[in-house]
Amino acid sequence: MAAVSLPAWAALAPMAVFALTALVLFVYDAVEPESHNSALLAGISLVGSLLALGITGWYLVAGTGQPRRNGAIELFGGNLVVDGMSLFFTALIASVVTLVVLASYDYLQGHDYQAEFYSLAMLAATGMAMMSTANSLATAFVSLELASLPSYALVAYLKHNRGSVEAGLKYFLVGALSSAIFAYGISLVYAATGSLQFDAVAGAIADTSLVGVLGLGVVMVIGGFAFKTASVPFHFWAPEAYEGAVAPISGFLSSASKAAGFVLAFRVFLTAFPIDVIGAVDWVVAFQVLAVATMTVGNFAALKQEKVKRMLAYSSVGHAGYVLIALAALTDGANHSFVLGSGMAHLLVYAFMNTGAFLFIALAEHWEVGRTFEDFNGLATEAPFACAAMSVFLFSLAGLPLGGGFFSKFYLLMASINGGVAILAAALIVNSAVSLYYYSRVVKAMWIEEPNGDLEIESYPTGLYAAIAIAAVMTVLLLPAFGPVAETANMAAEMLV
Amino acid sequence: MVNAWIAIGALALVAVIIPLSMMLISSLLRPSVPEQGKRATYESGEVPTGSSRHIQFNIQYYMVALLFVVFDIETVFIFPWAVIYGDAVGEVGLVRALVPMLVFIGILVVGLAWAWRNGAVEWVRSPRAESQRVDRDI
Amino acid sequence: MTVPVQFYLLLSAVVFCTGLFGILVRRNALIFLMSVELMLNAGNINLVAFSHYYGNLTGQVFALFTMALAAAEVAIGIGIILVLYRNFEDIDVTKATTMRW
Repeated sequence: MAAVSLPAWAALAPMAVFALTALVLFVYDAVEPESHNSALLAGISLVGSLLALGITGWYLVAGTGQPRRNGAIELFGGNLVVDGMSLFFTALIASVVTLVVLASYDYLQGHDYQAEFYSLAMLAATGMAMMSTANSLATAFVSLELASLPSYALVAYLKHNRGSVEAGLKYFLVGALSSAIFAYGISLVYAATGSLQFDAVAGAIADTSLVGVLGLGVVMVIGGFAFKTASVPFHFWAPEAYEGAVAPISGFLSSASKAAGFVLAFRVFLTAFPIDVIGAVDWVVAFQVLAVATMTVGNFAALKQEKVKRMLAYSSVGHAGYVLIALAALTDGANHSFVLGSGMAHLLVYAFMNTGAFLFIALAEHWEVGRTFEDFNGLATEAPFACAAMSVFLFSLAGLPLGGGFFSKFYLLMASINGGVAILAAALIVNSAVSLYYYSRVVKAMWIEEPNGDLEIESYPTGLYAAIAIAAVMTVLLLPAFGPVAETANMAAEMLV
Repeated sequence: MVNAWIAIGALALVAVIIPLSMMLISSLLRPSVPEQGKRATYESGEVPTGSSRHIQFNIQYYMVALLFVVFDIETVFIFPWAVIYGDAVGEVGLVRALVPMLVFIGILVVGLAWAWRNGAVEWVRSPRAESQRVDRDI
Repeated sequence: MTVPVQFYLLLSAVVFCTGLFGILVRRNALIFLMSVELMLNAGNINLVAFSHYYGNLTGQVFALFTMALAAAEVAIGIGIILVLYRNFEDIDVTKATTMRW
């Protein structure tokens, strides 16, 4: 319990810290445009993200915005809300940003425009943290764009690299299209209900005469979330963007951005379109279809990949499908807070193991060993520690009890059984088995295969290694510590349902 | 209700008929003498060079235009604020009415300063323009 | 004489579909930007019309935000299209295929 009582707006401090860090970086770059002091730039961003993480952790421990301390804090007329769920996801995003900044310091050596890179990353983090607190369709749209627009630029960061530019273009094209669809969906929901604030929308749904318009609006809003979480039908951008982007940014987008999309989806569908009010539009069934389709498309496409980074990109699509279970299993009989909590817990575990795996790819790109499975042959003889960490990430992603991924997948399985949707449980098991095959291909290449030709590694970059080590430790620690995490997630979810 | 629509329809009809009839009448009356000079692009009396299909503008035009668009659009946030400013000061006091807008403009100024220092508004001459300039200076 | 609110829905649907058609058919990246702009503005038509219909200002204010975000999106988009042109000598969105689509 914190002894001091802060004003209500202080609940937004983590977001303010991100935004201020971005501004400080901008001001620094405006004062010294020619500077190449990457240690200072990375240091500023690292301090900013650690500060945001610390404040969020403190709020979580002190119980800010939770039932044991006055309940959720509503700000700006209920347009933003700080509660257990928003703090949970802000902590997740801040951890991922910390890892990404740490890794980028080595990865960006010798590149120009580093200040822009870090400040765009901070702005994207601001947007993602805001997405977790958005409590009206207006703030949802604005924060989603604040998270997306810097991401487009970050993906196209290597502007002389054709792959990076192409990835940025495709990400931008799909993103612009889906945000237009999202905005139109919001306008239709507004047309049907006359308000944008989530609780007010839920209150007005019963009286609306424009049920068809509302239904179309909800479907379009689902489309907007499908883009942000890289789910079917807007998943096409994900493999391209993740493969072409610089690897730390791939990790950032595939974990933090996806988590932010999911928290917004959770809040919109549980607060604004509660299933018992919006009987006309049965979104639970829609999400069941999307979840199964996303899992299957992601995992089976990952099977056929030749490049490790692209394989991870497709596996990230598959994991979006697993998390969609949290919305798809919200049937009448289910324990809603448990179902939702398992999705949140999986996102947290996934954030560490997936970011870690992409950071290992960043390390491999730093060494310039190549991108295909064969290029990783015998890497363990040169870098046993990094390869051990990568093996932990991959096995945890597959759901083996080597990291927290085992329990989080198990909880999702229990959630789908709890919701009484057998097809989700079956799809989860089949797809996890499939994923084990392609994940173990990487492990086999690293540890068992003979190195082909001259595999030589000159440097062992400290920042990248530190980031990978932290991610690995967190992944392993989440195995014994999964109980408290799931409990926190359940408690946060309970406030929403 | 009905009358108003008739008036609009009549206006639309007249608007289409007048230009069409003018073009038709002039094409019936005028003599037809085709020659090269008439088909050339009019460039203020200069002899036109190159084609207009693949003309390339200096990138600086885009930079200035982009900055203009972004800052121009930001003014839509200032207008509603200006409209209610007087009432807002009376209701919530000067600080709460004024400071948020100052913060907003402050962020914009940081952005402008960054763009300025990074050369987005500096006019860089293209090599071709540079070579033509030398000719005239002599 | 007021226009029934359904007509606005129809108008915005037409504008939205025009934009969607443009995206699906045209390959020029700049046309793509214009089409996205059309789709966003279709949303704005709805917002403003129903703001008037319900008599609250929420929709109109949100329309201002949409406009500002559309401008920001175009700014980013033009930047990406410029680097696209420098790398691929074209702004045809189907030409950029070093990876598989």
